[in-house]
Amino acid sequence: MTAATLIPTGRRTVDRQLAAGVTLALLGVMDLALFGLAGHTGTAKFGMSLAGASVHVPDLSLPARGTPIVAGAISIVLGALRIRLDLSPALRRTTMGAAIGLFLVSFLCWAAAGQTLSLVGLLQSTATRSIPIVLGALAGCLCERAGVINIAIEGQLLLGAFVAAVAASATGNLWVGLLTGSLAGGLLAAMLAAFAIAFVVDQVVLGVVLNVFASGLTGYLYDRILVTYQRTLNQPPVFRNWKVPVLGDIPIIGPVFFDSNVFLYLTYGALFLVQAFLFHTRWGLRVRAVGEHPVAAETVGIRVLATRYRNVILGGLVAGLGGAYLTIGSVGAFGKDISSGKGYIALAALIFGRWTPLGAVGAALVFGFADALQNVLSILGTPIPSDVLLMLPYAATILVVAGLVGKVRAPAADGRPYVKS
Amino acid sequence: MVTDTGGIDDRSFNASSYQGLKDAAASDPAIVPSYVPSTTESDYTPNINSLVQKGCGIIVTVGFLMGDATQAAAKANPNQKFAIVDYNYSPPLPNVLGLIFNTAQAGFLGGYLAAGMTKTGTVATFGGQKLPTVTVYMDGFYDGVQYYNSQHGKHVKVLGWNEATQNGTFTGDFTDQSKGKSDTLAFIQQGADIIFPVAGNVGLGAAAAAQQNGNGVHLLWVDTDGCVSAPQYCSLFYSSVVKGISVAVAKAATDAAKGSFTGGNYVGTLANNGVGLAPYAKDVPQSLQTELATVKQGIISGSIKVASPSAPASS
Repeated sequence: MTAATLIPTGRRTVDRQLAAGVTLALLGVMDLALFGLAGHTGTAKFGMSLAGASVHVPDLSLPARGTPIVAGAISIVLGALRIRLDLSPALRRTTMGAAIGLFLVSFLCWAAAGQTLSLVGLLQSTATRSIPIVLGALAGCLCERAGVINIAIEGQLLLGAFVAAVAASATGNLWVGLLTGSLAGGLLAAMLAAFAIAFVVDQVVLGVVLNVFASGLTGYLYDRILVTYQRTLNQPPVFRNWKVPVLGDIPIIGPVFFDSNVFLYLTYGALFLVQAFLFHTRWGLRVRAVGEHPVAAETVGIRVLATRYRNVILGGLVAGLGGAYLTIGSVGAFGKDISSGKGYIALAALIFGRWTPLGAVGAALVFGFADALQNVLSILGTPIPSDVLLMLPYAATILVVAGLVGKVRAPAADGRPYVKS
Repeated sequence: MVTDTGGIDDRSFNASSYQGLKDAAASDPAIVPSYVPSTTESDYTPNINSLVQKGCGIIVTVGFLMGDATQAAAKANPNQKFAIVDYNYSPPLPNVLGLIFNTAQAGFLGGYLAAGMTKTGTVATFGGQKLPTVTVYMDGFYDGVQYYNSQHGKHVKVLGWNEATQNGTFTGDFTDQSKGKSDTLAFIQQGADIIFPVAGNVGLGAAAAAQQNGNGVHLLWVDTDGCVSAPQYCSLFYSSVVKGISVAVAKAATDAAKGSFTGGNYVGTLANNGVGLAPYAKDVPQSLQTELATVKQGIISGSIKVASPSAPASS
């Protein structure tokens, strides 16, 4: 890397400073004018605990008009500071984050004016909506860090969901369902690995084909078998919520993070393991070497193809777990195309998260939050048309992530088959 | 019968239509039901033509997507009798019977029932996609709750749909059950204790949410009797808002066999039992059941008006 790319030229800094400052100020003006001055009077109440909580936190009441006005003023001041001063990168990100946060607060005050919005419910819903997306994104991370593009996350979720439902119904044992669901994802991943690595098939095309295959196969078996034998094969039990003692009773944090079923806790575990292994172990270093420069990895004695096989299948096991969540962790029965595009959202989260586990989780949470928010907004009867609301999760993910993440770079050998010469 | 791409076992309108043919066959041995499945929309025309070649007494096509293909076949074969579910033609064709349903009327009864049963004073409905065949239920439900309020001086609130603005809560598709569950939990957090999902299988997610919550949250099922199509959740249903596809198809088939078939449009209403409520759960008190019977008579006689911009014009 040359010095020129490391030290930006003066002109570029000024431009960026101006653009970011104007963005902050614009957000502030929107808070002030749209949600404040043109907003509703009255108070917006935010529920801070769920019904039946052991420690009751009183609702938070904010003036529906005053709050956006104050928030807007702060954002405008931040924007002015951003234009005038050359801030450190950390401070730059903080000001942008603060402005987005204030915008959100203003928006919520406007939407909840005169009503009560369950904030804890909103956050809890965010966590549960994110589970399959986080697991899918972790699966993608494992594959792509080793240099294999995984478009087939959607198919792995779907097959995992199907097998988990059938196995748990047939045996009556949820853990069997969880395990077989995960294995089913691994099986589809093994197909991906075999075709991509041994037969050097174009990985994007292959992933799409596997998704169609999984959708067709599960759809056919659903029509032919599950509908007829619904009681014995498609009525699995569902994992019950297990509240973590003590932690689960902490106000606000407890219900959001520590009162869910085994899948949320497994998601924490998978996240921690993938992050730690990829970036803090020798094994992870090798995986990343294979994904960045397989020829160099081979010369120092790393077995490139074996690493790729292992990682793709490992990823499939994680995605299969996400699929199992959809049936035995959430709604019970399997339905056609129950994954409904979550695998593709996971793929997007992975890319927006710069191919890092923590980044992908961040993007997945943004999506989950926006999805939960649009639902609550429609329930509160905001005048925004439902079609626009349904678009919100996608639009918000792109905007927030583009605003905060900037340029992303894929692993250098991602999608390039490795053939020994 | 030609199925839609949903397949014969979709637990929805294809299954109901075929059930109608089987019912007709049970009462009249001269009727022999058979079907051809469509896997894509391009199968519609060849499938219909193959049945025309076979010389069927009546060909039943299912779903509004088959409207154009059925019309073309009917015009090309004026002596072949057709019936089409969820579609109608204006002007009507002499050899096609369009079977459509004024589900707003049944939704109205559902709304009245929900308003009479709620303990929190808040009920909710949501749809899969914003289509007229979905929102027509929601309009009826909304009106039913308002009517209950005006009769009893109550203020039961409806979440998820506003008839005046035609805006409300939708999950976006008919497959994402986990979204149906999350959305329903949000309704429960906002105080609703009776949910009316108009979203096909996504409603199973709503049932899972009600079961997990446990605090006496109930549902009204849609299209078919929930205690038959989703028996595992039967204890959660106060009733179901039913669209009588099988009854209508059975009648069309029987008429065709007897030679009394006439083309035109059939609109399923409360009056002809084309729409209605499934049997009530035993928690529904007798007094409310009596009121509902009165309301039903009121709708039939026209003294109670059920208006929905999505409702079909009566024939």
